[in-house]
Amino acid sequence: MKILIIEDEPELAGSIAAYLTSEQYLCEHASSFQQALEKTELHCYDCILLDLMLPGGDGMKILHYLKAENKQDAVIIISARDSLEDKITGLQEGADDYLAKPFHLPELAARIHSVIRRKYFGHSNVIEQHELKIDLLAKRVTVNSTDVALTKKEFDLLLYFISNKNRVISKNALAEHISGDLADMFDNYDFVYAHIKNLKKKLSDAGCTNYLKTIYGSGYKWDV
Amino acid sequence: MKKLMNHSLKRLLLYSALVLAISIPVYYTAISLLWEYELKHEHNIILTPEANREDSLLIIGAVTLLTVVFFVLLLVGFIFINRRISRQLWQPFYNSLGRIRQFDLHRQQNIRFDSTDIAEFNELNESLDKLLSANISTFSQQKEFADNASHELQTPLAIAQSKMEILLQTKPLTSEQYEYIEDAMKALTRVNRINKNLLLLTKIENSQYSDTESVDCSGLVRQTAAVFAGLSQGRDISVNVQVKDHVLIECNRILVELLVQNLVNNAIRHSAPGTVIEINLQENLLVISNKGNMPLDKDQLFKRFATANAHSPGTGLGLALVQQICNRYHWKIDYRFTDNCHVFSWRF
Repeated sequence: MKILIIEDEPELAGSIAAYLTSEQYLCEHASSFQQALEKTELHCYDCILLDLMLPGGDGMKILHYLKAENKQDAVIIISARDSLEDKITGLQEGADDYLAKPFHLPELAARIHSVIRRKYFGHSNVIEQHELKIDLLAKRVTVNSTDVALTKKEFDLLLYFISNKNRVISKNALAEHISGDLADMFDNYDFVYAHIKNLKKKLSDAGCTNYLKTIYGSGYKWDV
Repeated sequence: MKKLMNHSLKRLLLYSALVLAISIPVYYTAISLLWEYELKHEHNIILTPEANREDSLLIIGAVTLLTVVFFVLLLVGFIFINRRISRQLWQPFYNSLGRIRQFDLHRQQNIRFDSTDIAEFNELNESLDKLLSANISTFSQQKEFADNASHELQTPLAIAQSKMEILLQTKPLTSEQYEYIEDAMKALTRVNRINKNLLLLTKIENSQYSDTESVDCSGLVRQTAAVFAGLSQGRDISVNVQVKDHVLIECNRILVELLVQNLVNNAIRHSAPGTVIEINLQENLLVISNKGNMPLDKDQLFKRFATANAHSPGTGLGLALVQQICNRYHWKIDYRFTDNCHVFSWRF
């Protein structure tokens, strides 16, 4: 999968590329409006990460161009502007998702994963991993063909882990992910532990191998 | 306190009343002497004591009557003229006063004073103008600074956070090192929140979030309590919600959500495990109370960063936000400590 990172801050672009680069993703970087336009004209990407404030122009114009040319690249806006209006405008203009800076890298990976799945695996959107099968459309999880009843939060967490497999995820990032818009309000991470404990238990009760490892005391890792 | 116009009038009236009162015996003496002289020396008439007394009474009566009549005339004239002159004279002053009274630093409007032909008032207006312009520019500079600083901080923060996450993926990593990284990330998260809230405060101050709709406050309070249920249950705190149905407010949804969330979150955060929180919504009033040991400093409570300390790891901006939102809509937020309870009441 090819990903284009349009971001004028090289340090941030570097971090994103370092985190995403694996057997799954191949990252390219554009640091200015002009460069971004050239790259999008010449190549096709599975997902484009688009910063709105770019030297040389407004990132939104790149989005316009992509839509005008009927390009199929998925677009996730990554912007420092995080008001509701900005998000609505971005999504109305045709972006697939909107992530406000600063964000956790696992969160970005999860969004990319979800956008790509939605875009390219439209009708048979099923993730399979050995005995574990996740139907994203029906929101159904099965282990060796037996159903596992997960709550919305647990299902969400499972996807988060799957899209960040073999990566160490901090409790911090998990807490922000689970609490979503209300992340600002929570400062106690104990509820993260409770959710994960439940998810682990339900999976292992259904006979699933324990992929979700606790690492370094309080971090987590989906080990495949 | 008396009005400016009544100040001079009262003294003038007192003085004229006094002069007229003194004039009564003077008139009387003068007229009686003249009368006596006329009768005795010019016409050789000598009055009987009865007739004399009668005359005296007549004179006193006439003089007093005349004095009173003239006093009333004077009074009416004084009031009328005084009012007219004062009003003309002080009109520019009242104009300026009205302008200043309408002035609101948060509204960002410049004041224009009318020019007058009275030198003193012109001078006053000029000084006021200078003072207010200085105020306005300081205020907007301060706001701009908060806005710019928060925006500029976002990128380095994002970089620091992302580098920490990359560091987490490096090998080998010991548990001890992991803990250091996690702690650093926790601190970064807190900076992020402070930053976000500061931006939010500036936005509210800048009168953004201006679109209003009719918000169902009953639903909002129930929903908020439900959202925070996970948090309160985790801390063994029970939340008692009493909500009157169909309470509607005309305001911005995002802002009122923020307000309720902050109040509920505060109550949960500052409650000891095993205690009860009461949330009560009435027609125009939301009351949230939680158990506490001692009253909080009411003067400091709603100020920025006044409540942040090592024991309450919040951003120190929650109640400042609440206050700002209340200011925006002219709502009243109040705190009191009764029966070992912190009680926050929001009147809208």
